[in-house]
Amino acid sequence: MLLSTNSIVNSMASTTVKRNNTICAILVILLVCVAAGSLAVGKYPLSLEKILAGDEMQRKVFYTLRMSRTAVAVFGGAVLGICGFVYQTVFRNPLASPDIIGVSSGASLGAAVGILCFGSTVAITVSAFAGAVLAVCLALLLSAADRTGRKSTIVLAGIAVHALAQTALMCMKTTADPERELASIEYWIMGSLAGVTSSKIGSNLLICILATVALIFLHRQTILLSADEGEARMLGVSVRKNRFIVLLLATLAVSAVVSLTGLISFIGLLAPHIARLITKNNSISTMLFSGLTGGILLCGADILARSTAQTELPVSIFTSLIGVPLLIFLTLKGRNVS
Amino acid sequence: MTKSAILSVSRVGAGYNGKQVIHDLSFSVLEHEVVGLLGVNGCGKTTLLKSICGIIPYDGNIEICGQNLRHLNARQLARLCSYIPQRSGISIDISALDVVLMGFNPELKILETPDAAMRKKAMEMLSLVKLDSRADDNYSSFSEGQKQLCILARSMVRECSLMLMDEPESALDFGGRYFMLDAVKKATAQRPCSALVTLHDPQLALNVCTRILLIKSGCIISEIEPGKSGISEIEQQLTKIYGPLSVRQCAGKNGKSQFVLIKE
Repeated sequence: MLLSTNSIVNSMASTTVKRNNTICAILVILLVCVAAGSLAVGKYPLSLEKILAGDEMQRKVFYTLRMSRTAVAVFGGAVLGICGFVYQTVFRNPLASPDIIGVSSGASLGAAVGILCFGSTVAITVSAFAGAVLAVCLALLLSAADRTGRKSTIVLAGIAVHALAQTALMCMKTTADPERELASIEYWIMGSLAGVTSSKIGSNLLICILATVALIFLHRQTILLSADEGEARMLGVSVRKNRFIVLLLATLAVSAVVSLTGLISFIGLLAPHIARLITKNNSISTMLFSGLTGGILLCGADILARSTAQTELPVSIFTSLIGVPLLIFLTLKGRNVS
Repeated sequence: MTKSAILSVSRVGAGYNGKQVIHDLSFSVLEHEVVGLLGVNGCGKTTLLKSICGIIPYDGNIEICGQNLRHLNARQLARLCSYIPQRSGISIDISALDVVLMGFNPELKILETPDAAMRKKAMEMLSLVKLDSRADDNYSSFSEGQKQLCILARSMVRECSLMLMDEPESALDFGGRYFMLDAVKKATAQRPCSALVTLHDPQLALNVCTRILLIKSGCIISEIEPGKSGISEIEQQLTKIYGPLSVRQCAGKNGKSQFVLIKE
C-alpha cells in the first residue's frame, strides 16, 4: 500500500508540476513579448540600430524614459497582482483589494498634499507613498484596539480610514486651483505611467522587489492566515503578528507602485482571479502566476494607453477594458470545465 | 502504575461578551483516554474546548502536559495538541493535500516548506481516510463529511499529546462516525496521548469513549464510565440531559457487547 501511495504522490505531483511549468513558460514568454513591445512603442520612434550606433537622443529616450517606464509597468503590474492575491487570501474575500485597508485613498490624499504644498514630482511621489503607508498603519493600529484580533475589525478600521481620507481629499480639492492643481490631482488619481523617468524609480523599485520577495517566501503563512483565527492559532500560527507583517509588506509594495503611477484599477483584483482559474487552487504557483499576469496586463494596457490616441490616456481605462472581458471569458470557461 | 494527566482543567469559567457560559469546571484527562463531552445545544461544550485552545479568554487554570496554557505561545501549544473545529474556516480554493500539510506548520520554521517525507506522511493520512485519490482536488468542493475526514487527517498527521475535537463527526455517515472515532481510539491506545471530543450522539459516545462528562448549563453534572458504570446508572444520568430514555446492552454478530439507546 505504501508503494501505491508513493506512486500516486509522484504521478500527481509530476502532472501538476508539468502543467504549471508549461503555463509558467507561456506567461514568461508573453511577459517578455509585451515588455519588448513596450520598449519599442511610443511617441518618439526608436530603432535598435541607431541606439546601438550611439545616437545621443535615441539612447537618452531609451534609457531614461522607455526602459524605466517598461520596468515600472512589468514590476508594478507584478506587485499589484501578487499583493492582490495576498489581500484576497488574508481577507478571504475575492473582492478584496489594497483599497480595503485604505491604501489607495491614503495615497490619493498624500498625492494631493504633495501637489498643493510642494509641487515637484519627487515630492508628490514621496508624499503619496507616505500617505498610503500612514493610512494603512492607522487602520492596523485602530484594529489593534480590539483584543480578539478579528479580521472584520481590520476591514471596518480600513473603511473608517478610507472615509476619513476621502473627506480630507475633498477638502483639499475645494481649496485647489481648478486650472492647474485640481486637474493634476484628478489626473494623478486616474493613473498613468507617463511621468515615470529613471531618476524617480530607483528606491520605489527596490522597495517593491524586497517586499515582493519577502511575500513570496511567506506564501505558506499567507495561506494559513486564510483559516479562521482560532483554527490558524491551533495550527501554530501567531495570527496577529503574521497578519501584520504580511499586510505591511503588501502595503509597502503597493504604495511604492501607486505613488509612482497613481491609482491603477482592476489589476490587483483581476490578476489573482486569472491565476486561480489557471491553477484551480491557492498555492505558491497561483501567487507567482498572479504576478506574471499582473505584469502582462499592466504592460499591455500601458502600450495601448500611449499608442491609441494622439495624447496619452489614463492606463486604468485599458486595464479595465482588457480585464473585464478576460475575466468574464475565463469565468464562463472555467465553469464549463468544472 | 498511575497514568499521568495530559490535560487538567481546574475551576475554569469562560464566556462571550461578558456573559459567562461555563462555570467553575474542573476535570482532567489522563493518557490513553478518549473523553466525551455530552450536552444539549448551547450548554457550553464548544466554549470549553475553545478555552482549552486558548482561543477565548478564561478564568481559572488549564494545564496541558504539565504546562500552564497561559505560558504557551501558539506554536508551543500547537505542538502539544491538535484541534478540529466544528466547521473548518477554510473557504478558499486549496488542494486537500495542502490542507493536510497545514498540520505540519508547528514543526516548520516560518519560511520553511513541507519536505518530501511530510508530503508522504500527509498522503498516508489521506489514504487512511480514503481520500488519497482526491489529494489534488479542491478542498472547498468536498462534501461536509469529506471535509471533516480531511481535517481529521490534518490533525493526525503529527503525533500530538492531546486531540481536541469539536463535533468532528457531525456531517459523517453512520459508518464514517464509527470509523473516525475508532481511528482516534486506536491512536490513543498506541501511544501516550488522549482525546477530548464533544459529541451529540450518546450511543456513539457510550460505545467509543472511555469516559463521558455530562454538561448542563455550563457545569459538569456527572460522569459516566461506560466500562464500569451500571446500566441503570447510565440511564439515570443520560435522562438528566436528554429526557426519558432506555439503555440496553446487546451483542452484535462478533459477540462484542454494545450499548443501544432508545428514546422514550
